[in-house]
Amino acid sequence: MLGYYLQLGFRNLRRSPVLTALIILTLAVGVAASMSTLTVLYMMSGDPIPQKSSRLLTLKLDNYPLDFNDTDEKLPGILTWTDVRNLREDAKGLRRTGLYGISGIVYPNKEGVKNFFADGVAVDADFFAMMDAPFIAGGAWTAAEDRSEARVAVIAAPLAEKLFGKESAIGRNLRMDSEEFRVVGVLHDWKPTPKFYRMDGNSSAGSDADDIFIPLSTALAAHRDVSGNTSCYSNADPGFEGLMRSECIWLRYWVELGSEAERAEYRDYLSAYVQRQKQLGRLPRPDKSALYNVREWLQEIEVVDDDTRLQTWLAFGFLSVCLVNTIGLLLAKFTARTAEIGVRRALGATRSQIFLQYLSEAAALGLVGSIIGVAGAFGMLHLLAKQSPNLEQYARMDPTMLATTVLLSVLAAVIAGLLPTLRATQVVPALQLKSQ
Amino acid sequence: MEIRPILSALRHNLTGALLIATQVALTLAIISNSASVIRERLAVSQRDSGVDAESRILTQRPILFSQIDLANLIQTDLDALRAIPGVESVTVTNQVPMGRSGWSSTFATERVPTAPNQSAGLYFDGGRLLETFGLKLVEGRGFRDDEIVNIDPKVQNPPPTGVLLTRRLAEALFPGQSQFVGRVFYQGNTPDSEELRVIGVIERFTTPWAQTGPGNEYAVVFPARYLNPFNHYVVRAAPGAEAQVRKAMEEALEKNEPGRVSNGQYSIQEMRDRRYRGERALAWLLVSVTVFLLGVTASGIVGMASLWVNLRRKQIGVRRALGATRGDIVRYFLTENLIITSAGIAVGVLAAWGLNGVLMSELSVPRLPLDYLLSGVLLMLLLGVVAVLGPALRAAKLSPALATRSV
Amino acid sequence: MLQMDGVQKIYRTDLVQTYALRSLSLRVAEGEFVAVTGPSGSGKTTFLNIAGLLETFEAGTYRLDGEDVSKLSDHARSRLRNVKIGFIFQSFNLIPDLNVYDNVDVPLRYRGMAGSERKRRITEALERVGLASRHQHLPSQLSGGQQQRVAIARALAGSPRILLADEPTGNLDSLMAREVMNMLEEINAQGTTIVMVTHDPELARRVHRNIHVMDGQVSDLDQRLAA
Ligand SMILES: Nc1ncnc2c1ncn2[C@@H]1O[C@H](COP(=O)(O)OP(=O)(O)O)[C@@H](O)[C@H]1O
Ligand SMILES: [Mg+2]
Repeated sequence: MLGYYLQLGFRNLRRSPVLTALIILTLAVGVAASMSTLTVLYMMSGDPIPQKSSRLLTLKLDNYPLDFNDTDEKLPGILTWTDVRNLREDAKGLRRTGLYGISGIVYPNKEGVKNFFADGVAVDADFFAMMDAPFIAGGAWTAAEDRSEARVAVIAAPLAEKLFGKESAIGRNLRMDSEEFRVVGVLHDWKPTPKFYRMDGNSSAGSDADDIFIPLSTALAAHRDVSGNTSCYSNADPGFEGLMRSECIWLRYWVELGSEAERAEYRDYLSAYVQRQKQLGRLPRPDKSALYNVREWLQEIEVVDDDTRLQTWLAFGFLSVCLVNTIGLLLAKFTARTAEIGVRRALGATRSQIFLQYLSEAAALGLVGSIIGVAGAFGMLHLLAKQSPNLEQYARMDPTMLATTVLLSVLAAVIAGLLPTLRATQVVPALQLKSQ
Repeated sequence: MEIRPILSALRHNLTGALLIATQVALTLAIISNSASVIRERLAVSQRDSGVDAESRILTQRPILFSQIDLANLIQTDLDALRAIPGVESVTVTNQVPMGRSGWSSTFATERVPTAPNQSAGLYFDGGRLLETFGLKLVEGRGFRDDEIVNIDPKVQNPPPTGVLLTRRLAEALFPGQSQFVGRVFYQGNTPDSEELRVIGVIERFTTPWAQTGPGNEYAVVFPARYLNPFNHYVVRAAPGAEAQVRKAMEEALEKNEPGRVSNGQYSIQEMRDRRYRGERALAWLLVSVTVFLLGVTASGIVGMASLWVNLRRKQIGVRRALGATRGDIVRYFLTENLIITSAGIAVGVLAAWGLNGVLMSELSVPRLPLDYLLSGVLLMLLLGVVAVLGPALRAAKLSPALATRSV
Repeated sequence: MLQMDGVQKIYRTDLVQTYALRSLSLRVAEGEFVAVTGPSGSGKTTFLNIAGLLETFEAGTYRLDGEDVSKLSDHARSRLRNVKIGFIFQSFNLIPDLNVYDNVDVPLRYRGMAGSERKRRITEALERVGLASRHQHLPSQLSGGQQQRVAIARALAGSPRILLADEPTGNLDSLMAREVMNMLEEINAQGTTIVMVTHDPELARRVHRNIHVMDGQVSDLDQRLAA
């Protein structure tokens, strides 16, 4: 029976074509607008590493001078080299890595490819296992190579392709600035969205994929400049050595715990660490250290900015107007057929049959609207990505969102169709309608 | 035409009327708030940077890799750039307005940690910065060429203490004052903070971040060339010479150190476009949403009015038979629509305020100005009239003979 | 009062042309009560529509109250209808969304009459048809006869010179039909010219004069000449 209703529904789409087109268009536009912005929001607030996001922690320490005139500002999520070194040496947790952004000029040893500027990060060997970074060739460097400040590098697949073409990159040399690095691993096109491991509330760190990963120890030994925020609240001696000794903050630190349950233990360790540092005369202010897992961290740095939220609000306001409009138009479409309903009722259709028939027609409209709406959402996402490079990583529709979109628009049409359908079922059976 | 009979007729078509009124209310609430956000964002993106001819000021940032004698290399680059025909002035600096990354530091008038600390952009003038950017001085003087020093970060020469600052920063540091030259302030508010002295005040000079808040005009300029590989060369092209200077600039910088990597060449205008891309994107998104919303609402009104005309064909014929002119019929539908729209508008005005309140507290959205709300109200009234005009005219064309003929 | 000469009306559809009236000529004098009879499809309603300025015609002349109305604009015809003509329809044609009072008010509104004057006329007209107490009712809450009486009140309220009725009793039972007929006679007695289309021979007998229409023409030669 439902098949018959849907068939009727689709056939009726051709009746009053202008009205039908308007209904479909309204639905499609509403769905496209709301789904494209919702997709961006969903991707932004998504969990980039769901399998272990609760075991992956980063932290904040308060190392401001005692008399620092801070108001209620948030602590930055970056640390001094002193703290990162200490945390690494204490070796708590399953795996751990310090991290800071680097950049440099790459000299390709290849005809026709000009020197270029590349972004990367200095990390510890554990980083790749912690982040579940997928290798297509080779692997991470060893802890021994970390200790020996080896000139090794892991590079991203696009860079490998650019430098070495189809040949294997493993064992080849990569020249960055005046240093040569031996490539030990090539990462798959790896784009955690958002790029949580580097983000610190400064949006520019979140956009591009990192191309080059080198050992943190090697980067420090080579005095490789920091690409990213460096904040100093007390004076530092000149040069990189000075920076490393100073209370300037510029490194991130991540630790992976064996299980979520170990978090309390780690928390205790961190408090104890702060106390120890206080005894050494550091971290003079009250202990404000804080631990964040990946999800907490994304929230803390407000990945979802106000504009995105505004757009989401707007999209739903827009969708609601579209829905009200659809209700109105459906009401118009159905009311114009009062006579037909009367005749159908007189011919023995029950209320629920009329109800189902008209709701199916609304659903048919929703289905057509959703197909156009999905196409529209893809178009909008494409536009959004083009307009703002920061959005590019988020403006992608995944199967979940696609299914949601289709479901939403059919649901929207059915909800919109409910009132007009109920009204249709109120029509009294009649073979011939009295005038007026 | 009086309202009471229309109202009593409306009571019998309440659902449709309520739907239209709801739609009008929602639309009004959304578009008036959108309009105020659009205005705010576009206004932000058009703020004066202090740079007088943004499209003629070109900047390029080649990364210098022969790290041996940077001071000399920079001088050679500057000489080569100055020799380009059509170049009016050249400078080297650590950052450019609206360039989105750069240096900032805090400045205070007292060396005690409790003293207020102003965060400001920190520019280095490698010579002729004011001339090249076309900045205006409102007090004091700019730097003489012999005041410019080289700062080597590996050795950290003390920076010169005579500096320029922007008027806005001066006013923030020395509230209530109007004369700033000769005044002393500090880089930081700790006992070991460097002492600085004002030698000139720049009317306006925006920071690389061009923040939304007032801090976008807080800047301090030091007379120095900072010897790292990441400086910006800035040239001022003569009017009409931009294209030719762009090419020559690229070539000159490549020639001085072949194989250099450059982070691209931009005019300040292009920097502005990149900096405000987000603001403009949001503004245009809001504009298109507004247009769509108006279209959707108009289509709703057209649909509902057409339905009513169809349902009342007979009635219209009777009215015509009883002596209604075509004008009377059009007026009837216009009045009816006006009543519905006005009801929607009344609710919409409240909704707009409510929405604005929520948006202001949840998100960085400006207060809704009254004139925007009023324009929104007028727009909705106009929209209602325009949308209903078609169906109303069709109704007026119906034959009075419908009274005797149609079923 | 009403004078038609050689009026011709053709309905054109895509396929066919229907001669609804072919050269219809007749006269109705002031104060007359005329019944128009004839088989279904003969052109009675068409005649009434033209007489009431609801439709235009192709050829011939039509003078209403001495004035040639063949070339009037739509606007002027509306005004004339409003002031000089009252209509009573077979299916009453009350406006369903308006109550009795507001229904009677409709033509007066279009005349732009002052509120107090309208009120006086509406009350008077409703009293005349005996429905003053029902002025708040909606048409759906009235019987057919009552609805038709409201329609008569609506037609009378504007004090028209001529009343046009298209089968006013066609939807009523004979008792109510007689009641309506009594009312029409009363109105005619007070000086209003009435032209009534009817199928009912009994009613037709009660009026001054019968005009028999056949195939778009007045069939009875005597009647034509007499007019
Ligand atoms: N709008 C119209 N279009 C085409 N033909 C029409 C139309 N109205 C009436 N007719 C035709 O004109 C003729 C006269 O109709 P009408 O005046 O209604 O007859 P009566 O009222 O005497 O029954 C009929 O043949 C009818 O079919
Ligand atoms: Mg007839």
